[in-house]
Amino acid sequence: MKNHNVFRGALLLVLSLAVALVIGCGKKAVVQEEMGVVVKEPAKEEAAAETRPSEAAIEEELLKEKERQEKERVLREAASFGDIYFEFDQYDLTATARETLKQHADWLLANPGFDLLVEGHCDERGTAEYNLALGDRRANAARDYLVSLGVDAGWITTISYGEELPLDPSHNEAAWAKNRRDHFVVTPSR
Amino acid sequence: MIKKTFSILCFVIFLLILSVAAPAKVYMDILSPAFQKFPIALPDFSPLDGREGENPLFREIPGLLSNALELTGFFRTVDRNAYLESPETPEEDVRFADWRVIGAEFLVKGKLEAPGETLTIECRLYDVVEGKMLAGKRYTGKKGDEKAMVYRFADEILSALTGSRGVFDTEIAFSGKKNRLSDIYTIQFDGSNLRKRTDHKAITLLPRWSADGSKIAYTAYPRGNPDLYVLNLATGKTTRLFHDRGLNLTGGWSPDGGRMLIVSRRDGNEEIYVHELETGTSRRLTRDPAIDVSPCWSPDGKRIAFVSNRSGSPQIFVMDGDGGAVRRLTFNGSYNTSPSWSPTGSRIAYEGRAGGQFQIFTIDENGGNTIQLTYEDEGAESPAWSPDGRFIAFQGKRNGTSRISVINANGLNPRVLYEGKDLEAVSPAWSPHLNLY
Repeated sequence: MKNHNVFRGALLLVLSLAVALVIGCGKKAVVQEEMGVVVKEPAKEEAAAETRPSEAAIEEELLKEKERQEKERVLREAASFGDIYFEFDQYDLTATARETLKQHADWLLANPGFDLLVEGHCDERGTAEYNLALGDRRANAARDYLVSLGVDAGWITTISYGEELPLDPSHNEAAWAKNRRDHFVVTPSR
Repeated sequence: MIKKTFSILCFVIFLLILSVAAPAKVYMDILSPAFQKFPIALPDFSPLDGREGENPLFREIPGLLSNALELTGFFRTVDRNAYLESPETPEEDVRFADWRVIGAEFLVKGKLEAPGETLTIECRLYDVVEGKMLAGKRYTGKKGDEKAMVYRFADEILSALTGSRGVFDTEIAFSGKKNRLSDIYTIQFDGSNLRKRTDHKAITLLPRWSADGSKIAYTAYPRGNPDLYVLNLATGKTTRLFHDRGLNLTGGWSPDGGRMLIVSRRDGNEEIYVHELETGTSRRLTRDPAIDVSPCWSPDGKRIAFVSNRSGSPQIFVMDGDGGAVRRLTFNGSYNTSPSWSPTGSRIAYEGRAGGQFQIFTIDENGGNTIQLTYEDEGAESPAWSPDGRFIAFQGKRNGTSRISVINANGLNPRVLYEGKDLEAVSPAWSPHLNLY
């Protein structure tokens, strides 16, 4: 114990002298050189320490990239949810529409964590108001069918745009057929 | 079809007999299909103080009056080159025979003076067949008031000849679409003063005027759902009145101003509700799993016309104000929508299909006497009656360019009110009298 104290005292003395030397001779070139040597050691250590987190960051980035790619794939699939189409003044689901909705339902059940917005649209013929109601019916027909296939009703919201947002603004049968649709917007759940 | 043609023929013959048999003083029914426009002579005005002196207003004012009267579709200005009498002829010396011989039945003689910044005009309306004055007015105001003075005297002429004033002081609201967004606009009956009234930067639709003309209700999507708003025209302030998830569509305001018809799917599907503005309470009027939309009031506020597809296709129905006594009104064709009840009569205008196009029809409130009013090449939709029941505004197209037109309630005299070059104009709604002049 006593020896320890003596050693500690000696170390303190040496350190004090060294400090006094550094402070006292700070402006001398030789001492500066020595200081440079002293400083060099911790500098090396810092560099080593830097390398480790940086490797970790690269690994993390790789993981993120993979996640991002997976997310992109999911979003790409989500964005490619096909529209379904309706006959004039109808909101019954056609056989084709049911097939498409089955695919949408399968995807939603396989990829939980997504919300679905169903937009009901109409062609330009007829009254704006009646078409808003018709678009509402079209959106809800799809919603009800998805729910019947097991999709959680809480994931789905509907909106009618009536005849306000045609996909094809032309005034002919081909355009009207494209515009009588349900459009689907898939977004990650909030 | 043959039966219908025959009944129209009988009606025309009946009118002819009526017009022959009637004494000269009874003016013709201006809304009858056989109506002939009133031929009116509008010579230059003369100086009020009797002194000679040129003023461009001498010609401009009768010109403005001619435009105003022709806007109504009830008048034809007799060619001014045919006038035999000098404008300076004093009223006590008017030779009515000189006006009769050129085909005029009515004559307006006027005088004016415009010292400094003031303007005074004096107008007299004569029946040249009877040889007597029907109306006379003097207006005093500022320079620049001439249009207001002319519209006021045009109202006098209309009152004298048809029993009620015109609608020069009304506006037509419509939804103007541009780049997938829309706003509510208003334009005056004479096609002047186009104004954008909303700015939600969202889809904005279905304007409906309040009974006093101070507010417009409409449906808009600024918050991602079709919510119902009310715009105070004086302050420009908008209030969101309904925001049930799903549709919140405007119906008509009641004639007494206290109630508003709305469409909501708050109970699971589109139903019609009446909303008491005072108490803020709503009452459901329809109970049907079908689509029920587009409600509008009868002029007495006791019945409601609306659209329902409960019988398989959209048709016009009428019900009592409490939702009772529902009956189907239209049976021709598989698509009849957009009812508008004449504010003065017993007819309902709507849009239906004819020859592959939508056209405007009218029908008696008890379901009889359907008449096709428009024969537009590119269709006509969304009829709206003027407050005097003598005009109907509708949306249409020419060469694919959208426009709002006005037609007399007898189907004559269509004119374009607004042509949208870069604005697609739809869903017109006619204001009540706004006392603009």
